[in-house]
Amino acid sequence: MSHFAKRIAGVSLGAAVLCGVSVQADAQLLTHKDLSVEIATQMALTAIDACKAQGYNVSAHVLGREGQVVVAMRNPAAGFATFENSMKKAYTARTTRAPSGRFADAVKGNPNAGQFFLTNFVAAQGALPIMVGNDTIGAIGISGAPGGDKDEACAKAGIDKVAAQLR
Amino acid sequence: MKKIAIIAGLSLAGMLAGSANAQLIAHKDLSLPTAVTIAQTAVQTCKAQGYLVSANVLGRSGEVIVAMRGDDTGPHTLENSFKKAWTARATRAPSVNFANTLKQNPTAGARSLSNMVPAQGALPIMVGEDVIGAIGVSGAPGGDKDEACAKAGIDKVAAELR
Repeated sequence: MSHFAKRIAGVSLGAAVLCGVSVQADAQLLTHKDLSVEIATQMALTAIDACKAQGYNVSAHVLGREGQVVVAMRNPAAGFATFENSMKKAYTARTTRAPSGRFADAVKGNPNAGQFFLTNFVAAQGALPIMVGNDTIGAIGISGAPGGDKDEACAKAGIDKVAAQLR
Repeated sequence: MKKIAIIAGLSLAGMLAGSANAQLIAHKDLSLPTAVTIAQTAVQTCKAQGYLVSANVLGRSGEVIVAMRGDDTGPHTLENSFKKAWTARATRAPSVNFANTLKQNPTAGARSLSNMVPAQGALPIMVGEDVIGAIGVSGAPGGDKDEACAKAGIDKVAAELR
């Protein structure tokens, strides 16, 4: 090997080791807890039943970590807009990692808030993030009760039902 | 006079036909609890056989009543189960029939409609001769296996489907 080739090899090896080290630190996989379809179904059904017990027919969506639908439930006894609305509320809660009612409060009087130009945001109470500690692993959205506070109470009933499993 | 009688007779017939058409349509439709049972049974039946699947249960107008993403399923399975169910609902037949139709005629018009997919794994949900919805399943290694799980879902609530 010529002197030049040795230098190249040395530099390359050094760079490779450096890269290897820095990549390795970044390259650890993320460890996630995620909703199972069983738990998500239980949450949605509990929320719908909790509202029904109070005389409210509602639809429900439970979304996962990426905002993907894990369970969607249309209540034929509820208005047909409730299906879409429950999804959008849940999406809003998931992406803001906060109750959708908080977003509604935050943009009150500001109809040109940037989020209104994003897909699936809705300024309406009735959805809550699903947390494992400080990690938001999804959201549940409810629509159909006469008032977002009532929707949210049913969403909370759904989360409370599976609280022991959310860890 | 005869003419008038004929005209009167015709209008009476018209009125009768009119009132016959004016009756509301009596429908049986899926309830949410029934739809949830169908979807859950299908997903769990496949899981018991080692197949991870998603399911969609659609109503009379093809609307989603329950969409259920199975644990650890491929990301396409929720969409695919919806499209299979749509195909079964629209054609009032197992979605495999549409797959066979396209084999015979690859440019059949329905191929160009939204949400139609030539894939086995969905069945119409019937009350007698009336199609009130459909269930679609996706994720098993083979449409026949998806369809068997869809059937298990329907069988579970057979007593309610009347």
